[in-house]
Amino acid sequence: MKLTKKLTAAAVLTFIAAFSAVTAVGLVSSGDSPEISLDSLSDGSFGRSIVSFAADRFAGRDALISASARLNSYVGESIVNDVFISDDRLLYVGSNDIDCKTAAQAVNRVNNGTEGAVYVAVIPTSAGIYGDSLPAYLNSSAEKQQIDAIYSALDPDIKKIDAYSILKMLSDNYIYYRSDRKWTSYGAYCVYRTVIQKLGFLPVSYDKYSIRHVTDDFHGDLYQRTQYMRCAPDLLDVYRYPGGAEVVDCVGVDNDGIAHPCSLYDTSAAAEGRFDQLYLGEKMPVVRITTSVNNDRRLLVIGDDLAPCFIPFLTQHYNGITVVFPQYTDVSVENIINDNDCEQILFLFGIDSLNGGISK
Amino acid sequence: MEYSSLLFIYGFLPASLLVYAIAPQKLKEAVLLALSMVFAAFFGLKYLLVLVLYSAVNYSAAHLTAMLRGKLAPVRTVPFALGLIFDFSALFSFRTDMFAFLHEPLKVTSAFFPVGISLFTLSAAGYLIDVFRGNVMPEKDPVRFSLFIMMFPKLFMGPVLTYENFTRIMDNRRFNLSRLGSGLSIFISGLAKKVLLADNLYMLRSAVDSCDLGEISTVTAWMGAVGYLLCLYFTLSGLADMGIGIGCCFGYRMPYSFNYPLFSSRIRYFTSKWHIQVIRWFRKYITRTLSDAVNNGLLGRLMFIAAWALVGVWYGFSLSSALWGLLIGIAITVERQLISPKMMRSTGIIYTFLVTTFITVFLSCDSLGDSFRYICAMLGGNRLLADQLTGYLIRSYIVIILIAMYAATDLFRNAVIRLKDTKTGKAADIISPVVMTLLLALCTALIAGSGSSGDLIIRL
Repeated sequence: MKLTKKLTAAAVLTFIAAFSAVTAVGLVSSGDSPEISLDSLSDGSFGRSIVSFAADRFAGRDALISASARLNSYVGESIVNDVFISDDRLLYVGSNDIDCKTAAQAVNRVNNGTEGAVYVAVIPTSAGIYGDSLPAYLNSSAEKQQIDAIYSALDPDIKKIDAYSILKMLSDNYIYYRSDRKWTSYGAYCVYRTVIQKLGFLPVSYDKYSIRHVTDDFHGDLYQRTQYMRCAPDLLDVYRYPGGAEVVDCVGVDNDGIAHPCSLYDTSAAAEGRFDQLYLGEKMPVVRITTSVNNDRRLLVIGDDLAPCFIPFLTQHYNGITVVFPQYTDVSVENIINDNDCEQILFLFGIDSLNGGISK
Repeated sequence: MEYSSLLFIYGFLPASLLVYAIAPQKLKEAVLLALSMVFAAFFGLKYLLVLVLYSAVNYSAAHLTAMLRGKLAPVRTVPFALGLIFDFSALFSFRTDMFAFLHEPLKVTSAFFPVGISLFTLSAAGYLIDVFRGNVMPEKDPVRFSLFIMMFPKLFMGPVLTYENFTRIMDNRRFNLSRLGSGLSIFISGLAKKVLLADNLYMLRSAVDSCDLGEISTVTAWMGAVGYLLCLYFTLSGLADMGIGIGCCFGYRMPYSFNYPLFSSRIRYFTSKWHIQVIRWFRKYITRTLSDAVNNGLLGRLMFIAAWALVGVWYGFSLSSALWGLLIGIAITVERQLISPKMMRSTGIIYTFLVTTFITVFLSCDSLGDSFRYICAMLGGNRLLADQLTGYLIRSYIVIILIAMYAATDLFRNAVIRLKDTKTGKAADIISPVVMTLLLALCTALIAGSGSSGDLIIRL
């Protein structure tokens, strides 16, 4: 009996020591660590951040999460890290508390302080569209209700775009990634058709685009959370319009005001596996695009991570487009408007990122 | 940094064991205190400050109480009472909104909660009462007394020890490989209870909670109630086992807090096996004191029920939780007075499980009204036996519920004891190190995503 206990101690401690050592080596070689301050030490936020920091860099984390996802698909509910594993896709089911009133107030403030026309398109997540794949208690129409609540709280002269109905109607198509919360380029195109008509243009028809698959091995954020290998990887597409307007200039401006050249599609980043930079390249708070379109029309787009793959469709209609990502800057939305005098302003946000973006 | 976090299992625990192992014998308790303070600091320096303040106030109050003897004896009530007032004021201020107005001047956010305050308050109060009664001498060593309050293996879930028992455990420290093996086995069993069972059952309960109480079907309501009871048991006993296991790794053998209570054949057996040291604390310091004060049979029984209501208050600090305790007290009294032992022999286990499942609804719901509406749904008041959700929950959770129900019985433990000296028992003994390591690997995989298993069904 005593021998068994000693063997248990030896086996378990060896197991713990092996994982600890590999994790420690990884942590040391990465060189980064959570920021420490008296406030964070005092309120315990440093303790919490170091727990998640260590967990994110834990040895074999991806393999362990993958094993956990496989186990959960056999026993218990198929929910891993707030992601529901359905037969054909991954759906985020974590808490999504949206302050609809604050978001609407932020847009109303912009509308009152500018002479330009304001348009709003709030985009549902894949869980909002494919809620039928979720168990009954998770399949609420909350996202539709949240979007309706925001729209009803907006000033009457603000143009609202019902992206939810468009996407819901086309849900049999490849409009959302299977492994990510975001829409595909085709999903963006479907909404573009309605948005551009509201903005006063005729949309470019689908058959005029030359579509190239950049990769068929894209694993989105929901895959990263679950490491569920049975979820088929996604396609990333690039839409080009041969014979259409060209992009003359495209620069990203960082928080220090320094301009960096960028492009609508950074295929070199995708070739290196940085798929999140395929559309508009590296994340910048502001991107300014000048096109060969022969008009003086200028558009300001205030958006989130859904915007980059939407912007290429707009370049066929405007001579100048400024895209602002509030989540990458500390400047308030009102100041951004003042600095960019545009006749039309389009708010393009996912319902899940309203609080961190539009309400800033 | 919960016990069930990767940082604790693969960082703090091995590092602290190493530091403790190389520390000189004389300094082991001081080192353990330093480690406990580092552990507490992970929850914030404010939490550490609360623990240090608790230790200092109770240490001083106990010494002053003991010093005041002879002519000054009547005055000794003052430090004793002040100590108790401090302990229970702190408990009430953190577990209720009664002292919320103090949060802003003290720069304490409403989210701040000193984990384990309900347990170390009982420990500290019990110690003060024992010193006041002259049952124990006040501890001279501030290091050991601070360990009594903040020793990290017993910080979250106890056990709530009398000071006499605590010193006995501390004096019988045996830090060796064999005890380390025992401790790790207990820790991993507790971790498995929390991660494999309680966390899944928590999801089941959350699924049921997301339904409208007026539309919930009977079977779903029953699944939610049973799921909650099992989840509560595996959360509390899992955390308690982890703490006891860690203590054992450091050479201290602390008593178990739960002894397979759910499938007892009497409700009073259930209560004697549930949160054992806490229930004993209330029995020793409340029930007996009240019983001694009244000799009348009926009044005595009412006092007994009232004491159980206090246990309920301690669990939830709400009217519903008080009613939970009250009903447990009534159920024990009814069982003693009205139900024949012969009847209980055949139906006792089912009766006890059903009664505890029903009563625990009062602990699980947010308000008294919700509790009654939930019970109404369990009794078929919504006129819906089962729905689509029921089928989904049964498909998803039936295996977990069956495993949890089996794990909540003592059948496995009894089988191990029975097979101890047989060939099967010896074979099982040989593979147990492998089983424990695999179990740890499994739990690690399940908590790898979030880094810890933080879902707590109740905060004590």
